[in-house]
Amino acid sequence: MELVFLLICGGLAVIASLLVIFARSTLHSALWMVLSFFMVAIIYVLLHAQFLAMLQIIVYAGAIMMFIVYAIMMLNLRQERDSKVMGRVSKVVGVAALLVLFLELMLVGLGHSLTAMQGPITDILVATHGRVAVISNFLFADYLLPFEVASILLTAGVVGAVVLSKRVK
Amino acid sequence: MLEFMTILIIKTLVAFVVSLLIVAYSTWIERKVLGHVQLRHGPHRVGFHGLLQPIADGIKGFFKEELLPDNADKPLFLLAPIISIGAAVTLVVIVPFGDKITIMGREINLYLTDLDVGILLVLAISTIGSYGGILGGWSSGNKYGVIGGLRGTAQMISYELSLALAVIAVVMVSGSLSLIDIVNSQTGLWNIVKQPFAFILFIICGLAELNRTPFDMPEAEAELACGFNVEYSSMKFALFFMAEYCHMFVFAALVTTLFLGGWHGPVVDGPHWFFLKVFIVIFFCVWERSTFPRLRYDQVMSFGWKILLPFGLLNIMLTGLWMLVFNL
Repeated sequence: MELVFLLICGGLAVIASLLVIFARSTLHSALWMVLSFFMVAIIYVLLHAQFLAMLQIIVYAGAIMMFIVYAIMMLNLRQERDSKVMGRVSKVVGVAALLVLFLELMLVGLGHSLTAMQGPITDILVATHGRVAVISNFLFADYLLPFEVASILLTAGVVGAVVLSKRVK
Repeated sequence: MLEFMTILIIKTLVAFVVSLLIVAYSTWIERKVLGHVQLRHGPHRVGFHGLLQPIADGIKGFFKEELLPDNADKPLFLLAPIISIGAAVTLVVIVPFGDKITIMGREINLYLTDLDVGILLVLAISTIGSYGGILGGWSSGNKYGVIGGLRGTAQMISYELSLALAVIAVVMVSGSLSLIDIVNSQTGLWNIVKQPFAFILFIICGLAELNRTPFDMPEAEAELACGFNVEYSSMKFALFFMAEYCHMFVFAALVTTLFLGGWHGPVVDGPHWFFLKVFIVIFFCVWERSTFPRLRYDQVMSFGWKILLPFGLLNIMLTGLWMLVFNL
C-alpha cells in the first residue's frame, strides 16, 4: 500500500519537475513546481515525518512559491517569448553535465545498497516523545550552535538584501 | 476493522454535512445581519424569514450560464475554484467539535483526526487554498482580475507571518501543536485570558486572510469591480463564494479552539459550547464588516509589516520571558 503511494507521488513529483522545465508559460512552470513540492511533502508523510512535510508545504509550496508567483504576475510574463538562447556551446556543456550526473548516480547506486542508513529518530522514540518533540530536541539541544549560526547567516542575508534594494537618497 | 471503517465514514459524513450546513447558513446570517444593521429586512421571501434562501441560491447557481473568457488561461481558469473549495473543505478535517462521547457502548471522538502537527496543517492547507483566488484572478485575463490576484498575493504573504506569530504564542502556553491538546490545556483558564494580545493579532490577521472588510483588497467592488472573481459565473463563482464562507467557518472554529476554550464551558462541556462560540465569532465577522470601511491598499501593507509583525514578535518575547520567570 505504502509502495503504491510512494510510486504515485514520486512519479508525479518527477513528472511535475520535468514540466517545470518544459511548460510554455512561466506561471505554469511555477505551478508545476508547487505540485512537485507538494508531492515531496507527501513522500515525507510516508516516511513518518509529518512535521517536515508541513514545513515543506508552508515554506516551499506556500511562502517561496507565492513570492515567485507574485513576481511573475507583477512582471506580467504571460507567454514565453521566442528566446533562442541555446547556442552550440551551451548544448555541448549541458549534455556533458547530464552525462557526468548520470555517471555519478550510477556510481552511487552500484557502490552501496539503496536502503538508507538507520538514523537516530526511530519509531520507538517517536512513539514515546511525539514527532515534533523529537525534532525540536535535536534542533534546540544537540545541534543548537549550527542552528543559531544558520539563523544568523539567514538574517544577515535578509538585511543585506534590504540594503541592496534600498534606493540611495 | 469493518467497525472502525464504518464509524470513520459516518463521522466524516456527519462532520462534512454539519460544516456545509453551517457554511450555507452563514451566508444567510451574513445577509440577514447586514440587512438589520442597515435597517433593512434582508432575504425575506423564500421560506420563513428567508430561511430557504441558501438552497434557492444553490439551485440558481446550477442553472446560470457558464462563461469562459476568450483570453483566459483555460486549464487554470477551471482549476482555480477547485483549489479554493478543495482546500477550504479539507480544513474541516482538523476541527475539534467536541471530546469523547459514548454512543451505544462505543467511545467516539467528536473530531476526525488528532494530528500532532494539527495547527501547522491548517497553515499549510490555507496557503495552498489561497492559490485559488490568486490564480482565478490571473487566469481570467482581465485587468481587474490580475490586480485583484496581485493584491491577494501581497496580502497573504504579509499577514500569514503575523498570523503564524499569534499561533506560536498560543502553542508556547499550551505546549503542543495538536488542536486537541490545545483545547485540553484550557480546562480552567481560556487562552484569551493568557494571551489577549495574540487573540487580537489572530483576529486581525485572520480577517485579512479571509479577505473580509476592512481587508477585502482582492475584491474591493468599488475599485476593482469584484476583483479576482470578476469573470466567473454560475457554479464556479458559487464555489469561490462557498470557499470564502467555509474559510470563515474554519476561522471561527480556530478562534474557538485556540482562544475560547473549544468545547469547554460552564456547567456541561460539549459540542454545544463549541457551536455557540463558533456562531458568536461568525456574528462578529459580519458585525465588523458592516461597521468598518475598507482600508486603502498601502495602509493595509504598512499596517501589516510595520505594526502587526513587530507586535507579534514582541508578544512572543514577552511570553517567553513570562514563562521563564514563572518557570512554566
